[in-house]
Amino acid sequence: MDCVRCKGVAISAAKLLWQSVGPLFTRGLPVTLEITVLLLLLGLALGTALALVQVYGRRPLRYVCVAYEQVFRGIPPLVTILIFWNGLSQSFHIFLPGVVAAALALGLRSAAYQSQIFRGAIQAVPPGQMMAARALGMGKLQAIRHVILPQAFRLAIPPWSNEYSGVVKDTAFACVIGGLIELTRLGMTSLTRLSMTHGIGSQLILPVLIIVGLFYLALTYGGNALLALLERRLRIPGFEMKGKVER
Amino acid sequence: MKRSLLVLGLLAVLAGACAVSAVAATFTVASDTTWPPFEWAGADGQLYGFDLDVMRLIAILEGYDVNIVSYSWDIIFDDVGIGRVDIGASGATITAEREMKVDFSAPYWTSNQAIIVKADSGLNIATALLSGKKIGAQVGTTGAKWVQEQLIDKGIKVELKEYTLYPLAVLDLLNGNVDAVVQDEPASRASVAADARLAITGVIETGEQFGFFVANGDPKGLLPKINDGLQKLKASTAWDNLITAYMGGADPAKVEAAWKAASSFLAAKDAVGFAKALAAGVTAP
Repeated sequence: MDCVRCKGVAISAAKLLWQSVGPLFTRGLPVTLEITVLLLLLGLALGTALALVQVYGRRPLRYVCVAYEQVFRGIPPLVTILIFWNGLSQSFHIFLPGVVAAALALGLRSAAYQSQIFRGAIQAVPPGQMMAARALGMGKLQAIRHVILPQAFRLAIPPWSNEYSGVVKDTAFACVIGGLIELTRLGMTSLTRLSMTHGIGSQLILPVLIIVGLFYLALTYGGNALLALLERRLRIPGFEMKGKVER
Repeated sequence: MKRSLLVLGLLAVLAGACAVSAVAATFTVASDTTWPPFEWAGADGQLYGFDLDVMRLIAILEGYDVNIVSYSWDIIFDDVGIGRVDIGASGATITAEREMKVDFSAPYWTSNQAIIVKADSGLNIATALLSGKKIGAQVGTTGAKWVQEQLIDKGIKVELKEYTLYPLAVLDLLNGNVDAVVQDEPASRASVAADARLAITGVIETGEQFGFFVANGDPKGLLPKINDGLQKLKASTAWDNLITAYMGGADPAKVEAAWKAASSFLAAKDAVGFAKALAAGVTAP
């Protein structure tokens, strides 16, 4: 066995692998996080508003919200991204930056899901509390702001962590956007680059793709751990909430 | 007070941005960077390739800046056509169909289509293209069009399988899902050089001409600059040096190392020096 040569191959394999993995940290992860945070914020704001309208709004408004939610829950995320990135530009010459197009497309969709999470949470707060708040002289908006929502948001954390796990992985669809370099796109770049590398390159495709997968796993696991921590921190002991958070 | 500071800061940033744009215009160049030796992305995201360096050197010679972005091949003509990006540089054959959407520069390269098969398959140019064979090609390429028009439309019942990226077609060939892949000769040679399990079994003389492209009507007046820069490049040693560097079948990893070593010439806006250093780096033993 020619061991000097084996060692050389091992070193060049490690170097090739790192060439693919390093940019996942420096270029891919920041962009994936940026899209995730933007889309979650959009989904949170719009989702809460939609939920409030569905619970407390007047009838025609309620129908609009239900229609919105049905439409956006029924369209695949890849199609919404293509609409915002390719469709709008071809028909209306609206040139959204890649990150914005992805965050908008996925955020509007997430808002539809989040609205259902928050609607459930709001309706889980006993209606007696609203009556009690009104009896104390609060306005309806005041009661929602100070009595209903603080409890509803606490109730919403467990299902919301589910939505978080979903959207982190949905950001992978943004890889179809031209010029946008996020984790999955880098995985595809490595795939094509390694398949063209002389020698052992194609043997490294599988490890690189697994590492890309591990990035998403770390994001969902880490995010869920943070949300569980938040849930524990915000818990009001003995206040109509049963059980405790196990992690 | 705080707010007025913020406004001042924003104004300063805007003024800075305007000042920069007044110095040299920057044009965005889109390229499907999965196609060595014409364009590819290094693992670190740096973009390499014959087309892209021609773009960079023309920009130096004509006094503008380029921002090169990786783009999907299937949308590149549309997005250049509507002006989302300024220039397409992606080993694109000049065809009448594409001329509907974009305007092409003077031709800069002539290419033929090559057929690659697995080396141990024993297929030759005749047996690889028989009825019943599965043939892979990248979607929207002249290779895919050739299979459709010259085989399928003429009654040879091959099955055309189209892929969004050229390397995916090659991987599927290695996996045994297609019998042959039709693609431009230089890219095919790069694939065969990278993997000994592949072989070129034949070349179809199509004599296609590659051009850079801009939106129809050339709204930004780029074609005269590109054509003028092309002429200047071809008149200098830089053109032959780029061909030496990229078309000699060198391992992309070696080209990347040589490119990085030569990139200081790019920063110094020395087109001829860059091409010379790049060729020297690639051909060094």
